Formats: sequence, structure tokens, C-alpha cells
Amino acid sequence: MSDCQSLGDCDDSRIARIYEYLDGALSCDDLAEIKTHLDSCPDCAEEHDLECVIRSVVKRSCKEAAPENLKAAILDRIHQSRTAEV
Amino acid sequence: MSTSLLARRPAVGGWPVTVDLAVMNSTEHAPTLATGNGAETGTEPELTPAQLAEGSVDVSTESADDRRVRFERDAMQYVDQLYSAAMRMARNPSDAEDLVQEAYTKAFSAFHQYRPGTNLKAWLYRILTNTYINLYRKRQREPLQSNSDQVEDWQLARAESHTSRGLRSAEAEALDHLPDSDVKRALQAIPEEFRLAVYFADVEGFAYKEISEIMNTPIGTVMSRLHRGRKMLRDMLADYAKERGFHGNGAGSAPAVLDSKVAVALDVPTGTASNDQEKNK
Repeated sequence: MSDCQSLGDCDDSRIARIYEYLDGALSCDDLAEIKTHLDSCPDCAEEHDLECVIRSVVKRSCKEAAPENLKAAILDRIHQSRTAEV
Repeated sequence: MSTSLLARRPAVGGWPVTVDLAVMNSTEHAPTLATGNGAETGTEPELTPAQLAEGSVDVSTESADDRRVRFERDAMQYVDQLYSAAMRMARNPSDAEDLVQEAYTKAFSAFHQYRPGTNLKAWLYRILTNTYINLYRKRQREPLQSNSDQVEDWQLARAESHTSRGLRSAEAEALDHLPDSDVKRALQAIPEEFRLAVYFADVEGFAYKEISEIMNTPIGTVMSRLHRGRKMLRDMLADYAKERGFHGNGAGSAPAVLDSKVAVALDVPTGTASNDQEKNK
């Protein structure tokens, strides 16, 4: 358990702040404040790093290449819908 | 049907069941740059060169052929990304393909309503999401929403009972070694409205406001879905990491991550069951 209360009075709000920080959803002032805090608080820094790892893992894992024929099939349908209009 | 769904589940924000493509161009989103003067206000986000080129199109005088060429040039580059998202919605490759095809067909027929220079990717994602809700889900004749409600209750209870501290830095390293299939399975296991919010934010990097437009929900709802969805995902990933025999040792001095197979090969003891329980506190 972390005793750090700088980013919120419970783990939940602390994590919420870190999410917002990583989401780029904070004002410049808040951003600077949290950055300074992360530099000095190992608990929050660990939370931050963990969230970064999760995001990069999810990003990596969800990358799919569309099947070869999908693009062609879409273009076909678009061309068909054009000729149907005319 | 849509109204009953909404009435029944106001808490989750209610998903749109009709596609209103025109809404996606409403003026409060995305930068406006039909004539190029938007950039001078200083309040608009910076535009990429591609968006600037797009912005110079005069949609009212454009021929059908030109529009098709523009669609192919600007919209078709997102096929892989939309397909990846569709896989998180439809759960199997064939349905995902249908979904993407259908979404592109709709997008093309509504392309005259898309305002050049605004966020094309978000516009396409919104059409994809709507298509999924309207078409694919209806075809399933299966009220996914109510299924996910049940899952949601126990998952939320679980996610909220232990704060996400089960997962420490050693386990963060273990997570990094999880096979893609585990990560997808974990994502798939969380209720779709949470899953898609997490996907849009963490994989696609959409801002809260963009996600709120794509999912047609208030920003507050997006934020709470993200918060809860990420917690569920963390828990799920931690479980998979444990199942795979990855052990964080907490202290950080010994090797933090040890696959049991590797351990056997190296003749190194891995953590024991009691170790695991201890770690779970």
C-alpha cells in the first residue's frame, strides 16, 4: 500500500490522476506538478511505469493486419455503388 | 427497441442505435479548416500537411469521381487500424471483415457530409462503432449489453475489492512477456463498452473528447469507463501472468521474471504456490 497522498487521498484517485497525466488530459500546470511529483515519489513512479507497460503491451498485441483481399473488396463495393447510382 | 435499451441502462450512458452521420460533422469537434482561416485563431490544434491538403477541397463543386479518388486516398489508409478495432468488436476475422466493409461502404456514401480538414480517422471510427452496434449486434439477435451487465457486476466488484496493487514492477516486466493471445483474451473478457473505451484511448490514442464522439457518450462517462476498464484489464493481465508462471519476487534482487520452463532448463527453482498467495496478500 502506498501512503502517498500527493495525487489524491486514496489509491483510486491517485491512479486516476496518473491516467489523466498519461492521457495528456491535464493542463500545463497540473502536468508540471505531477511530473515533479513522479520524479520524487517511487510509489507513484512505479504506478506510472506499470501503466506505461500495460499500454505498450496492449498496443503491441492488438495490432492486426487486415486480410489481403479486404482492401480490394472494399474498393469493389465502392465502385459498384458508384455504377449503381449512375 | 433502442429506447427501451436506453431506458433500462441509463447508467452506462446508453449506446446509440441509429446512425446519424451528419452529427459527426457537428461544429464543436475537430479543427475547422475549410478555407484555411481556422489556423489563425490560435486555438485550433496544429494540422498535418495531409489535413491541410484535405482542407483545400471544395466539396460542393467536387465531381463524384474526384470524391471517390479523395476517399481512396484519405480514408483507405486506415483499413488495418479499423480492422484491428473491428476484431475487438466482432471477435472473429470473418465478422470483423464484414464490419469493416460495411463501415467503409457507409462512410463512402456519406463522404460528402464529412468536412475536409476535420478528424477523418475519428469520423471513420464513429461509423465503424455505429455499424457494429446497429448491424452486427442486431444480426446476433443476442442482447450483448445485458450479458455484459452480468459480467460487469462481478468484474467490477472484483476490480474494486482489491486495488490494483497486486501488480508490481516485477510483474510489469512479466506482463511485457505475455503472448499477444493472452492480452487479447484479457481485453476481450472485459465488457465491451469498457473494452472499446480502453482500446480507443490506449491503442489508438484518441482524446477523451474524441472517444466521447465516437461512442456518443458524455466525456464523464468515457473517463469512468476508462478508469474501470483499465482496472479490470490490469487484474486480468495479472492473473494471466500468474497462470503463465511468471513470478514477481517483490524485493527485486533476484531475477524478477522466470518462466517455469526456462527455470526447469536452468535448474532454478521458481516461486511456489505459497509464494503466490503471499504476494496476493
